[in-house]
Amino acid sequence: MSETYAVNMDNVSKSFGAFKALNGVTLRVRRGEIYGLLGPNGAGKTTLIRLVCGLLEAHAGTVTVLGQRMPNVAVLRHIGYMTQQAALYPALSVEENVGFFAAINGAEAGVKDALELVQLYERRGSVVATLSGGLRQRCSLACALVHRPELLLLDEPTVGIDPQLRVQFWDYFRQMAADGTTIIVSSHVMDEADRCQRLGLIQYGRLLAEGAPADIRAQGGSQNLEEAFLSLAGRREES
Amino acid sequence: MSGHRIRAITRRLLQGFRRDRRTLALLFVAPIVILGLLGYLMRGSSSSPAVGIANQDSGPLGVVVADALKQSSHITTSEINSADGDAKLKDRSLVAYIVLPADFSQQAQNGNVSPEVHLEGSQPGEDAPVMQALQQALIMLASRVAGRSVSFQPKVSYLYGGSDYDTLDYFGAAFVGLVVFFLVFVITIVSFLNERSQGTLERLMASPLRRGEIVVGYMLGFTVIALVQAVEVLIFALAVLRIHNQGNVLLIFGMEALMVVAAVNLGIFLSMFARSEFQAVQFIPLVIVPQVLLSGIIFPVSTEPTALQWLSNVLPLTYAVNGMRDIMVKGADLTWPSLQVDAAVVAGFAILVIVAGTATLRRRLG
Repeated sequence: MSETYAVNMDNVSKSFGAFKALNGVTLRVRRGEIYGLLGPNGAGKTTLIRLVCGLLEAHAGTVTVLGQRMPNVAVLRHIGYMTQQAALYPALSVEENVGFFAAINGAEAGVKDALELVQLYERRGSVVATLSGGLRQRCSLACALVHRPELLLLDEPTVGIDPQLRVQFWDYFRQMAADGTTIIVSSHVMDEADRCQRLGLIQYGRLLAEGAPADIRAQGGSQNLEEAFLSLAGRREES
Repeated sequence: MSGHRIRAITRRLLQGFRRDRRTLALLFVAPIVILGLLGYLMRGSSSSPAVGIANQDSGPLGVVVADALKQSSHITTSEINSADGDAKLKDRSLVAYIVLPADFSQQAQNGNVSPEVHLEGSQPGEDAPVMQALQQALIMLASRVAGRSVSFQPKVSYLYGGSDYDTLDYFGAAFVGLVVFFLVFVITIVSFLNERSQGTLERLMASPLRRGEIVVGYMLGFTVIALVQAVEVLIFALAVLRIHNQGNVLLIFGMEALMVVAAVNLGIFLSMFARSEFQAVQFIPLVIVPQVLLSGIIFPVSTEPTALQWLSNVLPLTYAVNGMRDIMVKGADLTWPSLQVDAAVVAGFAILVIVAGTATLRRRLG
């Protein structure tokens, strides 16, 4: 199973006090695919991603990543994580930021490639505090992928960026997936779903449906993915 | 000016406080703690400085003065041999000793007495009660010498310090260390919280970095900066302010370096208990101010009420301040057992907070 799946979550629950952020989620992400986690704000997407990279520990169920039961520090070497907020050091330059995350992963040689991939090589000397939101997001992505991780976790990477940059980001993701990287990308924007190979629809901490975009449309009974999602969410509430 | 808008701002501010219990607690608890501590320090049943009396007088009047000194509420006395006096000052078992010379009664009959007062001298606050007690004892002596007035000319000598020293010389030694300790602590705690609030700590935790690597990396980075600051402070104190220094400059720097390592790691450790820079800064009145009051910088530990002395003796800053004064005022070197203890305690504290900081730095968020 560990050969087939990069991520294998089995009946996972996670609570914060009385609030159940995830409730019995079972989900499998195949190696080398782009898996989209879709759901409204507060659905449990960030909690799920944090469980995958070991920042949170499940109260029930198991999380297996790249064949290892999480949390496991050794696996983190093979994971890239881009947080929702462009978590960077504002006083450092673009190159210094990417260089730092390269160094802690033992991948200093990858800095130039990462900067070129996100088209920031020409701006490598710019101090992050002076950059626009979109450029910061690109720098943040470079930090996440500089060590060429096997699994890339992207928590709402396209929030707050313009449509042109969003298209560029999806080009990067496809390029990396083609090179064998598994990508889990969360979003609450339904029109991004079609760019994923498989989707997991999540709401109120439960997985509503899972499958290729076409399967989700079929399950929801609509050609429009947003309508399909609402239909599936409605059915779950009724049940 | 719109009263409505001003009210909105005021209401918004008070609503924020209502939900920030920690800030409310600080606003109302910290002043009571600090003022209470100050009140207890200054008005509490403070311990009297230990003073030795060597009565060598062959006549009857030396005993009168010695008895008066023994009954004084300002000092605690013991009888000593004058030959042992300096050794007792050095080991801090006495803060002063008074020698009433063999011809003391004769001097009194002649109308001019000169008792010897030997002061340890490294802490100016300790000298006043000794001189006050002696003054009162000599007034009693004057009442016993019938028929003529007696004038007093005590011969005062200092083991350390003395008339060459001014207030800055005494306090400067402690402040050189305190300034570095305080600033490094504040910078570290705020920087570490920045790491948390800007989201980079979450990223670090999702990387293969181990907790110990984060703590030691931080420690080394801040220590480099803080040591440069320590050099600057030292040069300014010695070359510009010309604070009196009897000791080896490298030893002062070594003590400062130990304080830097302790402050950096205390900052990292306490940052775990704050969620914002605002909350981090609140640690200053709770952690730093009581240490400043109790570490002997302003009030000598030996004159504090006994309960506070116990507290002072477990505070690392007490040992750091003592060590700095030992070096700069007394010229101590590493052969001095007291300096060995001071350095060992500060180093031990640094190790303790390194371990505590590493242990409390959680990889997981919840």
